[in-house]
Amino acid sequence: MIVFVSGGAKNGKSSFAQDLAVKLADGGKRYYAATMIPVDEEDHARIRKHVADRDGLGFETIECGGDILSCLNHDRNGSFLLDSVTALLQNVMFPVEKNYEMDLQAAETCAQDVVTFAKSVANAVIVSDYIYSDAQRYDESTECYRRCLARIDRLLAQVSDTVIEVSAGQLIFHKGGLTE
Amino acid sequence: MILIIGGAYQGKLDYAKAAFSLTPEDIFTCAGAEIDFSKRCVNALEEFCYACVQQELDPVDYFRSHEGAWQDSILICNDLSSGVVPMDAADRQWRHSTGRLCQYLARQANQVSRIFCGLEQRLK
Repeated sequence: MIVFVSGGAKNGKSSFAQDLAVKLADGGKRYYAATMIPVDEEDHARIRKHVADRDGLGFETIECGGDILSCLNHDRNGSFLLDSVTALLQNVMFPVEKNYEMDLQAAETCAQDVVTFAKSVANAVIVSDYIYSDAQRYDESTECYRRCLARIDRLLAQVSDTVIEVSAGQLIFHKGGLTE
Repeated sequence: MILIIGGAYQGKLDYAKAAFSLTPEDIFTCAGAEIDFSKRCVNALEEFCYACVQQELDPVDYFRSHEGAWQDSILICNDLSSGVVPMDAADRQWRHSTGRLCQYLARQANQVSRIFCGLEQRLK
């Protein structure tokens, strides 16, 4: 099944999504699609913290960088956790190797790839961030990023069996449900 | 009156088009401090509020004084409520007056829907 998880920052999305991916795996293989491309020590420290958080849950980490479809070369029968679309899109839309210059075509490819990925694996738990409800007039590239992320969110919500907003660790179901 | 709220790019207008069979001719998109209530649907109320703030007008007063005109309207507004308090005084006022207008309209609405990633959540 495909489960899409979003909501505001620091509300417990990642912990919930990790536990859910383990549950859906039902004793089978679980994979963590690592999207972060570390560029400095701060990034490496964050990755170490994430790896420690997942410790004991039995995830195998797949380094996919900006190419989420590379996960499909591993094992489509597993339960995959993608956390987060936000980071994945940032990597492909503002690539470090191109000096963070905006790449709109890559953003569109990313949208299609994430949907293909979600539909190709046995179970996908995909986390995004709800960054759409503030009173800011952003610069053009930030606004563009928000628009592209929202497009991916909506495409994923459409193909997902279940769509959940996490607020203070609590679940708001916008679509479908979860069996106990 | 039906009020549709939600964050930016969530699909509020797409929802309204599908749910109420709107054509492009039915939609008025706010760009200033005046609204054409002859259209069935008024979109981007946050831009109306923004223009009101620039001209030191109160959006709620405007709706009160046109009360007869929008009782059967479909009104759409961005939810601006969940960011950091804006540095700029005008932006703070914008957020404030947009929030107050949504509360005023939600009280009078027959239906209030929040759109999240293209999906409707019925609030009223």
